[in-house]
Amino acid sequence: MLEETQSSAAAVGAPAHAPPTVRVREVSMDFGTGSKAVDRASFDLSLGRFLTILGPSGSGKTTLLRMIAGFQRPTSGHILIGGKPVDAVPPDRRSIGMVFQKLALFPHMTAAENIAFPLKMRRFDPAFIPTRVRRFLELVRLDGYGNRRIHELSGGQQQRIAIARALVFEPALLLLDEPLAALDRKLREEMQLEFRRIQKELGVTTINVTHDQREALVVSDEIIIMDGGFIHQHASPALMYRSPADEFVARFIGVSSLIEGTATVGGLMLAGVTLAGSLSGSLQPGMAARGVVRAEQVRIARPEVSLAGCETVLLGTIADVIFEGERLLYVVEVPALSQNILVYHHDPESAAVFATDAPVSLGWRARDMIVFEARP
Amino acid sequence: MTHTIGRMSRRHLLAGSSAALIMAGAGSRAKASEPEKPAEIIVRAWGGSWVDSLKAGVSDPFTKLTGIGVRHDLTEDNEIRPKVWAAVDQGRVPPIHINWDTTTNATKSALRGITVDLSDLPNLKNAMETAKPVGLDGFPIVNTYGYVYVLAYRPEAFPNGAPKSWKELLDPRLKGRVAFYNDGIGMHFPAQVAGGGKLEDIPSNMAPAWEFIKQLKTQSPLLGEDPDFTTWFQKGEIDAACTISTNAREAKKNGINVAWTVPEEGCKYDTDGFWIPKGLPANEEYWAKQYINLALSVESQQIWLDGLGLPGVIPGVKPPAGLMGDPSYPTTPEDFKHLIRIPGKVQVENESEWFATFKSIMQG
Amino acid sequence: MPPSIKARYPLTWRVMDALEWLADRLWPRSMSRHTGWLLIAPSLIIVGSLVVGMIEIADTSLRTLDTATFRMSESYSLANYQKLATSDVYLTVAWRSLLGAVLTTALTLILAFPYAYIMVRTRSAAARKALLICLFLPFFIGQVVRAYGWLIILGNDGIINQATGLIGLDPHRFLFNFPAVVFGLVQYMLPFAVLMLAPALTAIPEEVETAAKSLGASWPRTMRHVVLPMARPGLIGAGLVVLTLSLTDFAMPAMLGGGSQDFIANAIYDQFFRTSDAGLGAALTLLLVMGGTFLVGVVLSVFGAGTLAAGRRA
Repeated sequence: MLEETQSSAAAVGAPAHAPPTVRVREVSMDFGTGSKAVDRASFDLSLGRFLTILGPSGSGKTTLLRMIAGFQRPTSGHILIGGKPVDAVPPDRRSIGMVFQKLALFPHMTAAENIAFPLKMRRFDPAFIPTRVRRFLELVRLDGYGNRRIHELSGGQQQRIAIARALVFEPALLLLDEPLAALDRKLREEMQLEFRRIQKELGVTTINVTHDQREALVVSDEIIIMDGGFIHQHASPALMYRSPADEFVARFIGVSSLIEGTATVGGLMLAGVTLAGSLSGSLQPGMAARGVVRAEQVRIARPEVSLAGCETVLLGTIADVIFEGERLLYVVEVPALSQNILVYHHDPESAAVFATDAPVSLGWRARDMIVFEARP
Repeated sequence: MTHTIGRMSRRHLLAGSSAALIMAGAGSRAKASEPEKPAEIIVRAWGGSWVDSLKAGVSDPFTKLTGIGVRHDLTEDNEIRPKVWAAVDQGRVPPIHINWDTTTNATKSALRGITVDLSDLPNLKNAMETAKPVGLDGFPIVNTYGYVYVLAYRPEAFPNGAPKSWKELLDPRLKGRVAFYNDGIGMHFPAQVAGGGKLEDIPSNMAPAWEFIKQLKTQSPLLGEDPDFTTWFQKGEIDAACTISTNAREAKKNGINVAWTVPEEGCKYDTDGFWIPKGLPANEEYWAKQYINLALSVESQQIWLDGLGLPGVIPGVKPPAGLMGDPSYPTTPEDFKHLIRIPGKVQVENESEWFATFKSIMQG
Repeated sequence: MPPSIKARYPLTWRVMDALEWLADRLWPRSMSRHTGWLLIAPSLIIVGSLVVGMIEIADTSLRTLDTATFRMSESYSLANYQKLATSDVYLTVAWRSLLGAVLTTALTLILAFPYAYIMVRTRSAAARKALLICLFLPFFIGQVVRAYGWLIILGNDGIINQATGLIGLDPHRFLFNFPAVVFGLVQYMLPFAVLMLAPALTAIPEEVETAAKSLGASWPRTMRHVVLPMARPGLIGAGLVVLTLSLTDFAMPAMLGGGSQDFIANAIYDQFFRTSDAGLGAALTLLLVMGGTFLVGVVLSVFGAGTLAAGRRA
């Protein structure tokens, strides 16, 4: 029965009007250490969506995940999965598949036995288990590897077995607890895409936890940014990138420069200079503020070239040029601001144009610098 | 220092009777050319009240008399034996000068031919016949006292008075409450009588003994060694036991109501003795012999055996208070009529078989 | 003023230099390819002397005791083995040792496993410390003293019978039977088993248990299907140690068995020390060694070597 409902659920996909598969309401976790590990977190996640909870270490993202999994009971608040409260349901009775940071595969079993394990524990019909196991080995492109011992598999193959094991019983929800953190970059990027493919293929609702913003942007339908136990923003990757809700989000996603000053109508004022920008939220002129401008939003040109369309134009000198392959990062010293501004340039050939110590002019449009209230 | 004290003591004691005794006979010869004295001699002994009595009765007077210290080695008698045998076989100096041993075990060493002949001890002239080991030539060992494997019991458990027969131990109310030596020593011969057999048939036909011991086995007896009996009486674990009277007496000294008796089938009588291993330097062997000679003096026997509550082998020793006429303290021929004596040689030759048979019954 | 050359390095460095110089004189570098042999020389000497001892015992076991002279025969015969084969008592004693050792091993592992598990997994440092202390305390008290302790606690006049006496029960005999011996052995072996199990359990990542739970295994099934199989090397190692130590134990049967619960070691003692029949004692010894080796061999071939196979992958 479980089998049927889940298959059909997976097949439906993710219609926008579907009720949320996961509903987290005012969930807090207090370990008694002074500050709360998770502070009144609330969000909904619809069927088939891929959500990444992104945050630095200690932000409470793992604690939140463990509460959803059922390994920790929230100090207050409620969690609903498939519309039912699960606060009193132990982890082994929740329909949740989980992939762990260190994979936690069972070394005393073969790959196939690892995948069959949740089916046996959940008392699936034994006659049907081998077929199901074979299907999932195929899904993760490891058919023929079923009889291998875990230590006979490569790191990437182990990842695939771990995800097959977490999904084979077709859980309502898949949780990923930074399973890619320990991989080298190439394998990590390959597995990110693989996770995305498998998730789309099965249509399983997924919550991923990571501190890697690139991973979050690549794989997710939605991102939640957490810090200090708070949810700062819950949005699609594009929206989050374009309109960060606050300074923390703006700094955490992408590469930006920060400029301290005082909020003024139409921008930020400092040391007699006014920079064009858009004020965020409830920020009133006269308040201490910080302007955040993304490195790729800043335009760079020879001093004599006029930067059309840029409300803000500043003169500076190249302090450093960092070659990143597909792009260049210029560190530009701006005397008017007494600080450096970071600029991405997507034409590596320009290295010849702007050498260290070369004078340049910088510019950005008013909508590209967001001015936030300066938090201590 | 030691020597000075020794000489002084001896001069002082020469006037007394003790000195006359120890130095009589062979000793008088030695007066002229006495062998060099070792600093100490080592006597293997049993611990507890056994060694305390020996020290008071023999070792302390010996040191006083000769200036030679006495060290008591409390290694188990069974465990020192292989060490001494190995030393003698390999021509090394044995680890002890004198072994205080059961006559049965001492006989093994004597048969092996590793003990020194003690026939020339002057005090043997006064000794009773029990001092001589039965079935051996000369004195490869000297018996120093006798003892009886009595039936010790708690009077509360026997309201009708002392058990008259070993068969009373088969009473169902005593199940799990009787104790024997773990090799059955002391019980083999009375069991032969209680089982309807004859003592003359030992060792050729002991079927009656084993039959009776099989019946005892149904009583789930405890099996132990000397100190166990004292402990078990004191801890209330047992009501009756076949044991040397000394162990029962020890419990009694500690305030436990324990009595003992010789049932109608009789009790095994046996002796303990001293022997000296071969291979000692001549002077040390000489002084070890002097030690044994002193142990055979009336004075030493009186103090030593008062402590053990056992009858000695030298006439003139007075029984300690309360043991006069006691069945565990035989002195007259009448007393010995109820006691069973089997020659040591017969015992050691068959002991292994008897132990094994007893064990196979009890371990089954 | 610059420091003198000698003061420039710590004293320990100079001591190490001196030792290296000395080592170089005693064992020149040219010998370095034989250094492996040098390092295992002590073990070779120990094993060698054991082998010599076994040969000696094998030799003695073929000689019989002459009770007229109390010396071993010059000629060889199989009489001692014949005696062992035809006598019920040794069969009984051997069977009892084996049964006792197997029971002790099973009970010890059953009790040691939760102890080690809690010790390894507890989040409370105080609890872990308390468990460790309780574990090491018995090592400071000898086996014999502990057996005496049980005599005091379980005796007819002991603490337990005194307590049950207060509610009007007659004293019950706990001691001097087979269960008492097994009980004594189990409490003696428990610390050894826990010490062998703890590292094996530490090696199981907690995340594996969490994973099992998330995959639908209840706690008991997590234990059965994941923790126990993964702890198998530790269980085998601990089991082998307990099995061999119990099989050859002397003190517990002697003290808690009331004289009628002999194990093979007690029978060997009797032959060597009580009846002076070294031949029969040696034959028994050899049978014990061979029986024990066979048993260990069976365990190894059925279950593998566990933690005793260092470096081999599970």
